[in-house]
Order: sequence, then C-alpha cells, then structure tokens
Amino acid sequence: MGQIVLGVGDYGASNTPGEDVKTFALGSCVSVIFLDPKTRTVGMAHVALPDSTINKAKATEKPGYFADTAIPALLTLMSKSGCDKRGKGMVVKLCGGANVMDTNDTFQIGKRNALAIKKILWSYGMGAVAEDLGKNYSRTVSISVSAGQITLSSPGKPNWQL
Amino acid sequence: MTQHISQEELQKIVKSVPMLSPSASQLLQITSRADHDLSDVVALVKNDANLTARVLKIVNSAAFGLVNTITSIDRGISYLGERIIVGIAVGDSAGKLFEKELSGYESAGGDLWKHDLRTAIAAREVVKQSGADISSELAFTAGLLHDIGKSLISDYLQGSVIEAVEMVSTENDLDYLDAEEKLIGFDHTRAGYELAKSWQLPDELAEVILYHHEPAKAKEEYRALVYAVHLGDNIAMMGGYGTGSDSMRYKLDQQYTDYIKIGPKTLATIMVNVDTEFEKLESSLTKSGEKN
Repeated sequence: MGQIVLGVGDYGASNTPGEDVKTFALGSCVSVIFLDPKTRTVGMAHVALPDSTINKAKATEKPGYFADTAIPALLTLMSKSGCDKRGKGMVVKLCGGANVMDTNDTFQIGKRNALAIKKILWSYGMGAVAEDLGKNYSRTVSISVSAGQITLSSPGKPNWQL
Repeated sequence: MTQHISQEELQKIVKSVPMLSPSASQLLQITSRADHDLSDVVALVKNDANLTARVLKIVNSAAFGLVNTITSIDRGISYLGERIIVGIAVGDSAGKLFEKELSGYESAGGDLWKHDLRTAIAAREVVKQSGADISSELAFTAGLLHDIGKSLISDYLQGSVIEAVEMVSTENDLDYLDAEEKLIGFDHTRAGYELAKSWQLPDELAEVILYHHEPAKAKEEYRALVYAVHLGDNIAMMGGYGTGSDSMRYKLDQQYTDYIKIGPKTLATIMVNVDTEFEKLESSLTKSGEKN
C-alpha cells in the first residue's frame, strides 16, 4: 500500500483508497489534519513555527512550515481534489505541539504553534473537533485514507486513535 | 528486566570502545584551545592522507554546490570551517558508536548521529544568534559529542522503555536521566563522561557531556558553553530529532537566561537555520558514519 511521508514543513493530501499519509516524530511541531467526508480526501501539514514573517523566503519555499502559510496552502491543494476552497464541511484534527519539561515561555513553541493554528482556522470559520496537543513526548501520526482513521504512536506507549 | 551496572562493569564497557583516531583526538585538543587558528587545523589534516581525501571529497560534494572543484586542502578547510573538519574526523573515527541502533531507547540506527548533528548545529546557532561570548565552533563540536554515553548504555536499557516512560513525570519531578539511573544505576551523561576521560577529551568537552542536562552544575568557566549545548539539545528534540523514548522527557534549565539571551523570535530564527544547515550537512557528513 502506498504511503505519503511528510517531513518538517511539508504538506500533502490523498484520496487514494488504501494509502496512508504519515509524519514522523512531531516534537514541538503540530500536525494539522483535514478530512473531507464529501470527496474522501485526507490532508496534512507538518507545521514547525507559528509565524512566517520571520523568514519570507522559507515560507515561499516551504509554505507548510509556518501556521499562517500552511493552512491556505493545504486548502488550495485539497481544492484540486474537489474540496471546498475555504474548508467548508471538512473535519479538522490537531496533534503534536509537545514541550520539554519545565519549559519557559520562550521555549513553548509547541503551545504557540497550536494557538497560531487555531487562530487561523478560526478566520476560516473552521475549528478542531479533536486534538491531542502538548505534554512532553514526541508523536508519530498516520492517517488511513480509506477509513479516515488517525493513529498516533510514541515509544513506550500503546498506539492510540484520534 | 534491567540490572544495575557496577562501576567495574562500566569501566569494562568504556575500555571496549575503540580509541579515537590520532587525528580526531588531536583535532579535538587543538580546537578546544582559545588561542588556536585555522592553520593549526590545516597542518594537522595535511598529515593524514585519508582525512585530506575525505575533506576534499566532502567539500566537492553536491551538498555544497560549488561551481569549481576545490583541489587545495587549505582552501577546502577554510571553505568548510573547522567544525565540519572536526565533524568529519570524529564521524569517521567513531562512526560505529554514532550509527548504532539504540534499542534501549527504541531508536533506529543513525538516529543518534542525526540528533547529535542537529544538536551541534543548534548549539552553534544559539551562540551566533545570541551573541554569547563563547566559540560557536566549539559549541558545535561539544554538541556532536554530548550524547555519546547513550551508545554505551543502550544495550543495558533493553526492554525498559515502557517502564522508563511511565517513571518520567513532572509531578514526581523525575526526568529520563532519573529513569536511567533508577533502571541501571547510571545515566547516559555519566557513562559518556567516563568515555570522555578514557578518550582524554579536553575538559570543556567532558564537562558538556557530563552536565548537558544539568548545566548549573558545570564549572563556572565552562558553564555558558554547557548551556549552549543544553539549549541545542532541547532544540534538536523539539524539531523532531530525538533518540526515541527519551525525546522531550528532560527538563529545560531556565537559568540559561543568565548566560544566553534569546527571545521567541530569535529562537524561531534559530530553528529555521538549523533545518537549512542540517539538510546541507546531513547529506554530506552522514556517509562518514555509514562506511564504518
């Protein structure tokens, strides 16, 4: 079965039954997941940082890297599979955004990523129906296109669904 | 079930690790001295035909995208910078340790090298972006070596991942170092320190290896360097490059602000730069470990 593997700052979508969309070891990065029941399309962006204004060149090269450029880019990509351009009818789920222990404000990138993503989703009238954010461990996430099922894993823990 | 490693056993493990090559060892000595310059590095590399060939091969690899081939070792070294020369020498000399599968952390072969390289790049960026008065090249070298102890104790932690992960908790104030200590009697910083002594690494590098999770305990003269690697290590884990089960399960020492000034914006810039630099270095340097 096919697999689309997304690295840091990548985004991708699939409507091929049997395929998986996967990303490894989210630390403070957040995975934004869009499921479109109408077209049975699954999309994901692996977001590293909240705000693209710190490096416009990077945002152009890898829109999925920043929250504010990732979401429009993912919506545009998914619209090619017939999904609504503004995400109408899509199911949104979020995971990742971990922080190290005893973190201070500066190092809470995981938290800032999640907040920035929620703000942008809000501007589209979208909101997450499920989330597994924060804590202090890394997460690997895999979505099956056929079932629309999201499986998370982390060393030392039994796999869980989102 | 894990068993405690006695002091004697630890010494045996350390003794079983091959010594660094003379070139790698001397490079680490020379580049740790404040008064060295690049000509010292050039002189050393020129004495080692294998290392010279490797440096020229890497500087001319696709990752650096040079239009004209560099054939002079002097130019090759000045183009790459001393940290990359150290990286090549250490990677070639101790590749097996860095490339080892860390089954005790459920971490694949090669993960440790990637984590160390990420930490090295991040520690250097932390120094550069914060303007801290430390050598950014030395921060890179120290980052590369900081977790070498994991290779030594990983086998003894086999089968412990579930237990270790459950032990770590903010409420009980226990991180993964505490878990290692409880499980086998030593943590990876202590094991790495013993290897540093056996390898006769310079004091500042040994200090980083021993205290990269507890920088406040480091000698005052090396403390800023230890904090830089401490932050680099955390940045590597946050970016998704840990070594399996222990990733993100360590404490950030917030006292770093006494030594290193970075705000959220600078940290974001550091993270972008680390990604860019890592892409470049990984493709060219990682092969050095594989061939061992």
